[in-house]
Amino acid sequence: MSTPCAPARPLAGLKHTLRQIRSERRVQQRCYATAQKETMPIQNFHPGAIMRGNHKPDNMKRIPVIPPPKSATTVCKDPISAVTQSQISVLDPTGARTRLFDKANIERAKVGDILLVRTKNGDPFAGVCLNVRRVGIDTAILLRNQLTRVGVEMWFKIYSPNVEGIEVVQRKEKRARRAKLYYMRQPRHDIGSVENIVRQYQRQRAMTRSSEAKSRDANSHKKKNNKRGSN
Amino acid sequence: MLNCIDNSGAAVVECVKVFRSKRAAKIGDRIIVVVQKQRNFGPESGPGGSVSISAANKVRRGDIRHAVVVRTAKQLQRPDGSVVKFDDNACVLINKGGEPIGTRLNGLVGKELRDKKWSKILSLAPMHL
Repeated sequence: MSTPCAPARPLAGLKHTLRQIRSERRVQQRCYATAQKETMPIQNFHPGAIMRGNHKPDNMKRIPVIPPPKSATTVCKDPISAVTQSQISVLDPTGARTRLFDKANIERAKVGDILLVRTKNGDPFAGVCLNVRRVGIDTAILLRNQLTRVGVEMWFKIYSPNVEGIEVVQRKEKRARRAKLYYMRQPRHDIGSVENIVRQYQRQRAMTRSSEAKSRDANSHKKKNNKRGSN
Repeated sequence: MLNCIDNSGAAVVECVKVFRSKRAAKIGDRIIVVVQKQRNFGPESGPGGSVSISAANKVRRGDIRHAVVVRTAKQLQRPDGSVVKFDDNACVLINKGGEPIGTRLNGLVGKELRDKKWSKILSLAPMHL
């Protein structure tokens, strides 16, 4: 390209020349791109195709494939409940303890009832049931009482082998409107010592038992007499 | 602040140190206490009124004494899984040899004292749980 610029101003045509050079370079680049496009790689390329070429069945060893183990969900749908059931069947073979706190049972022990827990080692403990924590085998009850004018609260695991028996001493007349009767810790709602109620209950129990025993004895006597009479 | 349940003359004491432990004291732990409030035996001790008030109180306000924790409001789990919780914190004053200062306790104490060799306190207590 000729540069028709005046010698008085040597840099006057510089801008123009630069622009020209740039445009030429662009043309060259375009040429490159078109050249590449012409030599495109193989179409429908797949990496397996390389392997397929030199595949020799004689050289290759057959690898034994072990089927995956059976999924635990198909073997046992709910393992935790199954374990709980087995544990309960060991610790509570008669099912009486389960029934006493079963939600389906209308005659179950509820919060607000006065319960008596007899333990293997130590004195029986009686108190108002404030809470029943139903967690399978760890099911526990919270009893509250006042001994020597000091409030005492005890948690008992109902399936514990240390617990010999749980008895309902007195039921709450009205259904408790709360699941947890923690308000009974407040002095305003505290029912105090349940010792008198428990003692009365135990006396009644003893009376009924003795009368039952007497009647049983009488029945057996009668039977014996009848037998004798028949003989 | 703990209640003192013996007849040594202290009613409310403050724990300033737990022996051999950096945690809170449990039942059966030995602690150092400062007597904050004295028990007044004046009108209540009718039959024992022959002893003057100053003589009945073996400890005075501000005394630093050793004591054993016998009840805690913090729930304490037993080895069998049951949990015990009392409504208050209480202790019994002892001398440095481990003998109780008072001669009588009023109130129940935790059964853990037996494991920790405080049988003297257990024998004084009217009830243990």
